[in-house]
Amino acid sequence: MQSSSLYIERNSGLHALHPLTKLALLGLCLVLAFALPDIRWLLAAFGLLLLPLAAWGRILAPFARSGFSIILPFVISLALIQGFFAGGDTALLTLGRFAFTWEGLLAGLTVSARLLVALGGTLLLMLSTRPDHLMLALTERGLPQALGYIVLTALQIFPRFQDRARVILEAQQARGLETQVNLLRRLRLLVPLIGPLILASIVDVEERAMALEARAFSRPGQKTSLISLHDSGFQVLLRTGLLLAALALIVWRLLPLVRA
Amino acid sequence: MNGFRKEFSTLTLVLIPVAIAINVAIGQLAITLKLPLYLDSIGTILVGVLVGPWAGAITGFLANVVWTLSGLFPQAIAWAGVAAIIGALAGAFGRAGWVNSWSRAALAGIITGFVAAILSAPIAAYVFGGVTGTGTDAVVAMFRSAGLDALGANLGQGAVSEPLDKAISFVVVWAVMLALPLRFKNRFGNVEE
Repeated sequence: MQSSSLYIERNSGLHALHPLTKLALLGLCLVLAFALPDIRWLLAAFGLLLLPLAAWGRILAPFARSGFSIILPFVISLALIQGFFAGGDTALLTLGRFAFTWEGLLAGLTVSARLLVALGGTLLLMLSTRPDHLMLALTERGLPQALGYIVLTALQIFPRFQDRARVILEAQQARGLETQVNLLRRLRLLVPLIGPLILASIVDVEERAMALEARAFSRPGQKTSLISLHDSGFQVLLRTGLLLAALALIVWRLLPLVRA
Repeated sequence: MNGFRKEFSTLTLVLIPVAIAINVAIGQLAITLKLPLYLDSIGTILVGVLVGPWAGAITGFLANVVWTLSGLFPQAIAWAGVAAIIGALAGAFGRAGWVNSWSRAALAGIITGFVAAILSAPIAAYVFGGVTGTGTDAVVAMFRSAGLDALGANLGQGAVSEPLDKAISFVVVWAVMLALPLRFKNRFGNVEE
């Protein structure tokens, strides 16, 4: 079944890692993103850690493409807003009473680089891990099964609902619904569009609940899974190492604060 | 914990993913119609009102997790806690009977909107350097040019857009509640008829 996720199927070492190992890697990336002191360190972390990992996972092109399209609006907003309003002495450009400063631009780009490292870690996990494998790994470690069910089902019915919304919009347009009108009248359009969307899906809900109950969905006790995840002693060690590294980084950054 | 268990029947567990998909589908409709609103929490509010605060909170939280996992809006997970509180508030307002009339539903939405604005602003200010990477950053820039700092400007932006957005969302949910069959509503029993 088609599911809405970023996952790309490849035959690589990164894909074969246990989801929890990749989750630990994401944890380290998040700590790196907010603990590294300046932009050179952040770009080095991205270039020397994240890019090679993406290449190892054979997802370098989609990694770069998604990363670029997601980070670009942040870079523009941050560079402009911080450049004009963060203050500083080296004015690059003056517009009326506002000066676009080098210090502000650098501050904006540094925040962008932090977001880039955090985003990179997230993308590595999402591009190389099937959502159902991730959820299975988490439920095996004690996440309630119901939460896993909700997340996976939502991901699966996402595309169908977007289609349904589009079909309703087109059907109402065919009946003469004008969408190119002023704002107040466009707001009123919500009624004939949202009504059918929600009411039709409610019927869905009852049928689905009955179908699940007929298959002992709410029966308590252990459930078996169709998929099985591969883990190894080396990966357990690797996870511990990644988490210790993250912890060490936090301590290293907080230490000067404690002394002061 | 008893209320918690009571809210999570199989029917609720099935309703929540549908509500999450409704959030996204209507959010996309708002973009297609070029409305200056998000309208991306109508499903969350519906679950809160229909089922209760716990279910509303879970729906809000997971909606943002799913949003991140789908890759449509990866930064969403940073606001998952705020979304959970919006759902919980919807549950509380529903239980108190505020969603039985459109005017009180609108008021509930305005209150929820202000709470959301206050809770979201520090996240945008301290995690994302004062932006969200969306079109509303223009409003943030406007407030910054008026002399506010990152937190103030994001608060201002939230206070402008959130209450109106949530008021309209609550009124939509009020209308949906009118249209839903009584048989369906009674299977949850958060709202007294």
